[in-house]
Amino acid sequence: MRYNGSRSQGGRLGAGNTMISEEKLKILTESAKFDVSCSSSGSKRKNEGGIGNGYAAGCCHSFTPDGRCISLLKILLSNDCIFGCKYCMSRADSDVPRATATPEEICELVIDFYKRNYIEGLFLSSAVHISPDYAMEQLLLTVKKLRTEYGFHGYIHVKGIPRADARLVREAALYADRMSYNIELPSERSLKLLAPQKSKDCLLLPMKQLRREKEIFKEEKRKGHFLPAGQTTQMIVGASPEPDGQILRLTQSLYRAAGLKRVYYSSYVPVVRDPLLPDIPTGERREHRLYQADWLLRFYGFSAEEIVEEDGNLSLELDPKCAWAMRHLGLFPVEVNRAPLETLLRVPGIGARSAYKILEARKFTRLDFVDLAKMRVVLKRARHFITANGKFCGEKNVQAIRGYLGAGEERERAVQMSMFSDTETVRSALTGEL
Amino acid sequence: MIYFYDGSQEAFLTALLLAFKDDEAVLTSGRAQLSLGQKTRFVNADPARAKKAEARLRELDPQCLDELSTLLRSGASDKDMVALNYFKCIASHGGPVRNMLADDAVSAAVDELRRVSFEVHRFHGFLRFMESASGALYAPISPDNDIADLLVPHFRARLPAYPFVIHDVGRKKAAVYDGANTFLAPLERAEIVLSANEAAWQKLWSNYYRDVNIPSRERLKQMRGYMPVRYWKFMPEFKG
Repeated sequence: MRYNGSRSQGGRLGAGNTMISEEKLKILTESAKFDVSCSSSGSKRKNEGGIGNGYAAGCCHSFTPDGRCISLLKILLSNDCIFGCKYCMSRADSDVPRATATPEEICELVIDFYKRNYIEGLFLSSAVHISPDYAMEQLLLTVKKLRTEYGFHGYIHVKGIPRADARLVREAALYADRMSYNIELPSERSLKLLAPQKSKDCLLLPMKQLRREKEIFKEEKRKGHFLPAGQTTQMIVGASPEPDGQILRLTQSLYRAAGLKRVYYSSYVPVVRDPLLPDIPTGERREHRLYQADWLLRFYGFSAEEIVEEDGNLSLELDPKCAWAMRHLGLFPVEVNRAPLETLLRVPGIGARSAYKILEARKFTRLDFVDLAKMRVVLKRARHFITANGKFCGEKNVQAIRGYLGAGEERERAVQMSMFSDTETVRSALTGEL
Repeated sequence: MIYFYDGSQEAFLTALLLAFKDDEAVLTSGRAQLSLGQKTRFVNADPARAKKAEARLRELDPQCLDELSTLLRSGASDKDMVALNYFKCIASHGGPVRNMLADDAVSAAVDELRRVSFEVHRFHGFLRFMESASGALYAPISPDNDIADLLVPHFRARLPAYPFVIHDVGRKKAAVYDGANTFLAPLERAEIVLSANEAAWQKLWSNYYRDVNIPSRERLKQMRGYMPVRYWKFMPEFKG
C-alpha cells in the first residue's frame, strides 16, 4: 500500500475538499507517535487576523490512555524514508505501509482541528522522503502555506531534517515557533552503528547555526518571529550502551552551549528487530530518573557533575535529589525559617513551588511543622532534612532514612509528573516536584 | 447570626459590613442547617453600602476585589464562608494577606482561588467546539465553577472571525461571542444544526486520539488524574 501525495493546488481555507483520508492519517500518526515532545509552551505569537495565537504557558487538550498529553497534532508529512536508522519503524527497508500527505491536507487538518479546540497547534515531522532537501522543502512549504495562506498563528513545531540545505532550515525557522533535531543516540559511535546516514555534526551544527541566527535576528530587531520557543531534542535511552552520566553531561552541554529549551528522553521500545539492538525495552524507571535529573539541571541549580559520575548510572532506588542529599548528609538538616532559596531547593521533597511558598509565608510568622503541613509542603521525605522552628521530626539513622526515601515511591508515581509525557503539564503537574 | 444572601458580589459586600464584627457569623447563599434558636437575617444588596465596602477594600488591597469575584464563582458549598473569613482577615489585618499561607482563612481562600482558575485553564484545553451549519461554533460544558464567561476572552482572542457560544448546561446559561460583542444569556437548551463536515472531522479526531496512543504503556490512573472523567462528557474522542 503506497499513497503518493498529489500536488494539486486546491483546498483553501474552509473549502473542506482536501480532507485527509482516514487511512493516511492513521499511517502518518502511528509513525509519529513515538516522538516525545508535544509541548506548546514558550510562544506569545499574537493573532493578526486569521486564526489562532500562542499560549505561553502551553495547553493540554486531551490525555491518551498511556498518560501522555495531546497538545499538538503530532504527524509526519511522509513516512517514506531513504535512511536506514536501525531503531526506526519507518526505515527504508522496513515493510510498513507508506503514506505521504500534501501540504494542503495537513493545513486543512490543522485548521479544522484547531477551530474545534482539539489541538494547540502542529508538530510536523517527516521521514527523509526522496532526499533531505526535498523533505525539508516540503516541511517548509507546508508551514509557510499554513502561516501565509491559511492565516494560522497557533503553535508550530517543525522537525529539522539532517543534511538538508541550511537555507531551507533558516527559512522554516521564520514560520515555526520551535524546531528540533533529534540526536536520538548519545554518542558518535552509536550513531555510526545504528543510524549510519547521520552523524553528530549533521545534528549539532544545524542546532548551533539556528541559535546563532536567532541571536542575530534579535540583535538586528528584525520584524516577525524566529523560533520564539527555541529548540529541543530527543534521545533514545537504552538502545545503545551510554551510561546516564554521559547522557546528562551531553544534556548539560546542550542546555549551555546550544541553548536548547528542553531535552527529551525516550526509553527504548523495540519496534523493529535488529541484531544490533536489544530485544527488551528499557525500563521506564530509568527514563523517569533521567527526567528528574534533567529538572535538577534546569530548575534546581544542580550540575551534571554533582548528580552522577561520568561512567555511572542514576540510582533506580532513590530519586537523584535524595541520592545527592544522602551523599551530603553533613549539610542537613537546614532550618526552613532561615535557609536561602538555593538551599531549600536542594531539600528532598521540597519542590520549587513549596520553596517559594515557604519564602513568602515565613515573612509573617515562624513556621513550624503544622504550618508546613497546612501549606501542603510534602514532608514525607523533607522531614529528614529540615528543622522547623528548631524542631527536627526526621530519622537520624542513615539506613532508616534510606528505607523511608525509597519506600512508597511506587504509589506516588501515579500523581507524579509523567515520565515520558510532556511537561506541558508543568502547571497541572506541580505535584511532580522532586 | 446566619446571613442569607443571593450570591452576588453586591449583596456579599453588603453582608460583609453587617457580619464583620460578628464572630459567630455564618454567611450562605445556599441552604444552611438551622439550629434551634439561631437568628437569621436575609441581606439584600444595598448599592450604596456595597460601594462603600468596595472602596474601603480597594484601599486595603487593590487586588482583592478580583479575588472576590473569582471566589464567588466557586461551586464549593463553603465558598461563602471561605470568602467571608478571607475578607475579615484582610479587614482586621489592614492590608493584603494573600502570602500569609500559614493562616487558615488565607490558605482556604488561596486554595479555592486556585481551584477556580485552574478549572478555567483546564477548559482552555478540554472545551470542544462543534461547527454549526452557519459556521458558528458551539461548546457545551458542565464546569464545577461558574466560569463560562471567563472562558470567552481566550477563545475570542484566537478565533476572532468565528462567532461562538459556550453553554454551561448545568447552570443553563451561555457566554456568547457574536463576532463583535460578548454577553451572557440564559439558555435552557440549544438546538444545533451541524455543518456538513462536522461528523467527519469528529471521526478523524477520534481516530487520531486512538492511533497516537501507545497501548503497551497504559497509565489510566495518570490519565484520569490529569483529565478527570467528569470532563470527558462533551469530548468527541470519548463518544461511542
